[in-house]
Amino acid sequence: MPTGRRRSIAAGAALLALAGCAAPAAEAPVAADRPWDDVLAEADGQTVDLWMYGGEEAGSAYVDDVLAPAAAELGVTLRRVPVSDTGDALDRVLSERQAGVTDGEVDLVWVNGENYAAGRQAGAWLCDWALDLPNRQYTDPDDPLLSSDFGVPVEGCESPWHKAQFTLVYDSARVPEPPTTMAGVLDWAQANPGRFTYPAPPDFTGSVFVRQVLTSVVGGPGEVPVEFSQEAYDEYAPALFDRLAALRPALWRGGDTYPQSQQELDRLFADGEVDMTMTYGPATLADLVADGTFPETTRVLTLEEGTFGNASFLALPSTSGDSAGAQVVADLALSPEQQAAKADPGTWGQFTVLDLGLLEEADRAAFEALPASPVVPPYEELSENAQPELSADWVSPLDEGWRRSVLAP
Amino acid sequence: MALSVRAGRAALAVWLLLPLVPLVLWAAADRWAAPAVLPQAWGTAGLRDAVAAGAGPASVRSTVLGLVVAALATPLGAMAGRALAGSGVPARGAVLGALLSPLVLPPFAVALGLDVLLLRLRVPSSVGVVLLLTVAALPYTTVLMRTAYAAHDPGFEEEARTLGATARRAVLAVQLPMLAPALAGAAFLAFLVGWSDYVVTLLVGGGQLVTLPLLVASAASSVGNEAQVAVLSLGSVLPPLALLVAVGLLGRRR
Repeated sequence: MPTGRRRSIAAGAALLALAGCAAPAAEAPVAADRPWDDVLAEADGQTVDLWMYGGEEAGSAYVDDVLAPAAAELGVTLRRVPVSDTGDALDRVLSERQAGVTDGEVDLVWVNGENYAAGRQAGAWLCDWALDLPNRQYTDPDDPLLSSDFGVPVEGCESPWHKAQFTLVYDSARVPEPPTTMAGVLDWAQANPGRFTYPAPPDFTGSVFVRQVLTSVVGGPGEVPVEFSQEAYDEYAPALFDRLAALRPALWRGGDTYPQSQQELDRLFADGEVDMTMTYGPATLADLVADGTFPETTRVLTLEEGTFGNASFLALPSTSGDSAGAQVVADLALSPEQQAAKADPGTWGQFTVLDLGLLEEADRAAFEALPASPVVPPYEELSENAQPELSADWVSPLDEGWRRSVLAP
Repeated sequence: MALSVRAGRAALAVWLLLPLVPLVLWAAADRWAAPAVLPQAWGTAGLRDAVAAGAGPASVRSTVLGLVVAALATPLGAMAGRALAGSGVPARGAVLGALLSPLVLPPFAVALGLDVLLLRLRVPSSVGVVLLLTVAALPYTTVLMRTAYAAHDPGFEEEARTLGATARRAVLAVQLPMLAPALAGAAFLAFLVGWSDYVVTLLVGGGQLVTLPLLVASAASSVGNEAQVAVLSLGSVLPPLALLVAVGLLGRRR
């Protein structure tokens, strides 16, 4: 999911300058503690505006054709607002919060990482509701991916929607003997000049790739502390930038230019200009292969040391006027039926956040009946040795360091 | 002489139409992977996807928004242009500067700043969008109409008045027809402002007004649906292009 942190900061500055007033209190408002039946009763007849990144056709179709009709049965009208950048939704919520609006136009946001962290700092999200959703009983309370979103505690301020796993992808027709570790990938790139590149940070995916290389060059997962500190940065970052600078001449176009986004890298891969691409959403791969965008020989490259994993969430803005309806939709989205429907590659193919061990027999069977993809291995295999994401505070310093040390030394 | 004019016109047509060629190809391509020069499979998948994404209602919304902005910004621009073309306005430079200021300020910052103000004043979001876009269109209509009024000879209306026309009739029957090409040009530019806006429509409109630019932006932020993006883009480019030709013909007739 693209992020809009820089724009949100610009937005904050513009708000203060043009509206000429102080920021509102940043502590997050909390939801009223009440029986679920009361929430259901209040939700009846409400219209919930779900703002979500519109670049994923399958995701939009799932919301329109599967989730919205199910919400309608509960008396809630679900309306999808497509945005090109999740930061747009946050910008709107911050404006509403600044203006003291309590019946705002954003009721749910598909969010994670920096946008969540930025909103959390500004008190943009309603808290103390997500852990009370009835369907929450089917998630593992100790699942680290659900309790922390890029190092920022979730604490009932957003409800999990699905899981993602950083994944390298290669064309098996062109790379018959793929590497098995990140260090191996870098060596392979060096040995095959012009056949590999990565999106330039601060692109979301390029930025993850850089953190993944960081983990590799310092000796593996767990070496770099999740919490950011200047000392840790000074200790670990130089080795990362040295390695990437050494790699640069062997990149696509000699590293003189980088793709600006994952989408651009995907196009290079689709056109056969490079032999590998990467994504934080491997679920979409099956579709890209099926519609001919990617070659049929596209395969997922699993790394021995594992890769970063995370979950994305539905957050409920503190300015929403339809928060009961939004909670009902978030609970519905967490139900075994909806999670199984969404996990079907023919629908959207997103990994579930539920713990299959906690499900009833019939519900578990629905997940086990999902078709296997020739391209994307099952989540258990993909997420083997999954590493929790570094804190969101790491992101900006690493992106900026990359710009100064690798892009324009 | 005539030949070089024709050559110039042909060059202009090529300049305008050439960028559309890949768009048209993409719009009709079900599959087009490099290094093929032409799509490997033709079809209507892009159109189907665009319709499924809501292109129909979105174009209606875009059209209505463009028309409303044009209907407001054109007469306002004409009035401002007329006043500025005359000598009755004190501190003309400053007034013109204020009117042109929306061109200089980044629209994103303006939208966000005014968004808070409009929300505080409880202005309905659709009214807020129309209001802001009308202000954004004013520089274009004002400058165009100021030039037109400066070149306009008020003698024709004086002539009509001496022949017994009322002031109202002199404006309606003499001044407006003479300024029609300029008015059409101004209305076209104002329409474009409403038709093509993204930031104000999304942020101030609070997502209630899903217009074509919103669909294009969200579809273009992904990979694999180039055909859909191409259809949506053509849907955004062709109506203004047709309007431009219409306005041009209107201008030439006089």
